[in-house]
Amino acid sequence: MGAVVGENEQLLDGLLIDGLPSLVAAAHELKSPLALIRQLSLTLEDGDLSSTTEQKRMLRQISLTSERALRLTSDLTRSVRLSDALFTLEPINPQQLCEDIVHELEPFFNAHGRDFRLASRKHPLLLVANRDLLRRIIMNFSDNALHYAEGDNAVEIQIGSRNSGNTIRMGVRDHGPSLSKNVLGVLRDRLNNAPAAVHARPQSSGLGLYIASQFAEAMNGKIGVIRHRDGSTFYIDLQASRQLSLL
Amino acid sequence: MNVPSILIVEDDGWLAEQYARVLKSADYKTATVPHAQAAIQAIDEVNPNAIILDVLLTGSTAFALLHELQSYGDTGAIPIILCTNLADELSIEDLKSYGVKRILDKTKMIPDDLVVALRSVL
Repeated sequence: MGAVVGENEQLLDGLLIDGLPSLVAAAHELKSPLALIRQLSLTLEDGDLSSTTEQKRMLRQISLTSERALRLTSDLTRSVRLSDALFTLEPINPQQLCEDIVHELEPFFNAHGRDFRLASRKHPLLLVANRDLLRRIIMNFSDNALHYAEGDNAVEIQIGSRNSGNTIRMGVRDHGPSLSKNVLGVLRDRLNNAPAAVHARPQSSGLGLYIASQFAEAMNGKIGVIRHRDGSTFYIDLQASRQLSLL
Repeated sequence: MNVPSILIVEDDGWLAEQYARVLKSADYKTATVPHAQAAIQAIDEVNPNAIILDVLLTGSTAFALLHELQSYGDTGAIPIILCTNLADELSIEDLKSYGVKRILDKTKMIPDDLVVALRSVL
């Protein structure tokens, strides 16, 4: 058995070349959505589905899975070009950004029979970030949560302030099988270093989380994970904007 | 005539649904679970004639489940069909001793391959 597991881990090595995601890593990540699209398309081609409702549902699954694959492709491209680009850091209202993300991903969650929401806040917060990168990170966490969550509990985006208001934490909470202590340790280690066989998400090499950590670093932020008894929260900590206090 | 019962262990909900659709149309009874831990719990209830198993699962991989199944006489005899994106990297010879009878490549298989594989092992 050890030999088999060893081979499996070895196969996921080499995810990075000069600190950038390798073609192998990218191909591995794209296999799952493409394989699903292919299976669904073949079924539609065969004409085995008599119900129009079922056909429409399957077509919807194909389009949503394609969108997910395209998001991943776009994140990979962005990640590779990260070092060449200049990023504007600006004051951002995280509540507003997350409302947009919930609005965009809600159909995807609903198609999986899951709820997705943003925890409400009384007091507005402002943080310093690049809007595009932050959006990609929260989308990545949300996608991760969608595939990890179980039961009827909604996946929830939570926003809060820490360190006497100097840091803003944005987290995505899911309810599913708890990460094992070992997996969590490996994941933390990988998040601080480089990705490898960390299956925080089904069929995942951990590359998505690695990309998220790169995006976070580019904004002087940090991502992490909190293990709960009934799930986990993946989060990003970013510097709070002082603009709000000056108003 | 007893309808064979198949346990599908697949953490992509839509793919699991697709497998179940194909197998039901071939007159198999199916149950679906998303990860290895749930599979262990479901086996007593479902009493499967075969298991269709993804490799990279949330939490433990399929190999942890294979190891667990082999620890018991009854579960060790259940034929396993691996359905994975990693088929190119796995060898049926290496996995035979863990009850794996077939390895299907998710990126190349056609829907009916599942039925063909099951018929060959049941």
